[in-house]
Amino acid sequence: MDSVIELQSVTVHSKEHISLDEVSVAFPANKSTVIMGPSGSGKSMLLKVAAAIIPPDNGRVLIHGRNLQRLGQKDLLEFRRCSGFMFQDAALWENKTIFENLALPIQLHYPRRSREEIEGRIRELLQQMNLLDSLDLRPVALSEGEQKIVSFLRAIVLDPDILFLDEPTTSIDHQLLEKMLRFIKTLNERGCTIIAVTHDAHLTAMIANYLVILKDGRVLEAAGTAVVRRSASREVIEILSQVLSEAAAYDTDILDLLEE
Amino acid sequence: MHPRGRLRPPFAMIARLGKNVSEAFGNFLYATGFLYNLVKESVLFLRRRQVGFRVLVMQLLFTAVEAMGIIALISLALGAVIVVQGISILPKFGQGKLIYTILLIVITRELGPLLTAFVIIARSGTAIATELGNMVISHEIEAYVSVGINPISYLAVPRFLGVTLSMVLLTIYFNFFGLFGSYVVTQFITPIQLHDYFQNLLGAMSVADIASSLIKALVFGILISFTAIYQGFKVRASSTEIPQVAIKAVGQGFVLCILADAVITLIYYV
Repeated sequence: MDSVIELQSVTVHSKEHISLDEVSVAFPANKSTVIMGPSGSGKSMLLKVAAAIIPPDNGRVLIHGRNLQRLGQKDLLEFRRCSGFMFQDAALWENKTIFENLALPIQLHYPRRSREEIEGRIRELLQQMNLLDSLDLRPVALSEGEQKIVSFLRAIVLDPDILFLDEPTTSIDHQLLEKMLRFIKTLNERGCTIIAVTHDAHLTAMIANYLVILKDGRVLEAAGTAVVRRSASREVIEILSQVLSEAAAYDTDILDLLEE
Repeated sequence: MHPRGRLRPPFAMIARLGKNVSEAFGNFLYATGFLYNLVKESVLFLRRRQVGFRVLVMQLLFTAVEAMGIIALISLALGAVIVVQGISILPKFGQGKLIYTILLIVITRELGPLLTAFVIIARSGTAIATELGNMVISHEIEAYVSVGINPISYLAVPRFLGVTLSMVLLTIYFNFFGLFGSYVVTQFITPIQLHDYFQNLLGAMSVADIASSLIKALVFGILISFTAIYQGFKVRASSTEIPQVAIKAVGQGFVLCILADAVITLIYYV
């Protein structure tokens, strides 16, 4: 398996809590990986470590086979240009307008692009999400769902090859969600590597080629969806049905859903 | 060892003391590394084209321009107080001309930089620590990292340079208004020609007075901005940490500035 990012024996801990405990996992290139686990199992932390946002306390992170710690400024900046991260709580820059939030990554990586080019790209993205009126607003003027959409747009504004999504579908209304899912599907079909943390059964069914099941900061299972479907581990089955509670509530067979 | 595996009281106390010392030493090393990184990035900031340049301009606007009113008021009042007190006492001892030396020592060398520092700590020190702390909590710092922006060069350096530069500029401004204010007050008590007043003042002034004032302003600016930025970035996970770091930024800022003031004054006289 050709992996784009690989974590080797990664541990992240604070004074009183271990978030990730000796985690080793590889994320396949040009595929979509969904990370699942109960709340507090370390999913968001795993995503941030994989995205080189939080450095591990122990272990190694390999990006395209190269140790992150030894990556030079240029290579790291190139990795940032090729990747996008959508935060669970949007994490928009409060002191900037929506335009500035979306323009900053472009200005940083393409300093020669004209204001018109940048504005064109941002208008195009916002138009598709019916958020064009928000161009000059501050994030605080938007609803939680709209802020998450802007966070998603910021993650894809540079047409990334690797997209990290942290609970992308929560707090978003049905109409906007449909549009966002279409975006994700297009990226997925285009061969963009997607690594997502989600509780959303439909998103999982739509994009997941690979599943990582986490519990208490440890990886229980990391394999293709077909392999996970056949997992004999009761713990894995329990977590899947717990996590995908929405689907469970409709009495749908979780494993069949993943097979869709 | 205590039966239940705990240390006996005297040993427990020593162990706790050792832990605190080790933590303090660790924090000191971390702060030193942070300062090194800040200074290094500041040098690079001035060399390369930066997206953070706008942040620097905004910081100068907030720290220097918006504080000009309060600084002018304090310095005018201070100059006036020194003149009123001096003119009522010094001539009795035949030392009327000493008022110019006192004005220079108090305003230019001592209280000018120190009061300016206090105003900046109260306004910008708390604002920086609170703003950065909030950005940590709302994951805005992580968002900067995710798009490839180094938070030290984009957020910390403009604030560091902005506050330090503002401190120097506001100290010059404070000195000017303090000395000018004293002239205005003198007119109400014993009118004197502007030319004579400034001639006497410049006669009493030495290069060391100006150098001392500027060196203090520079050092205070570095200390205030570093303390506020360091405390802001120290916030980890909870919004309850924000008022705590703001208080620390103010407290440590005051203490460090007063200590630095004492050291620089001692160096001046030794």
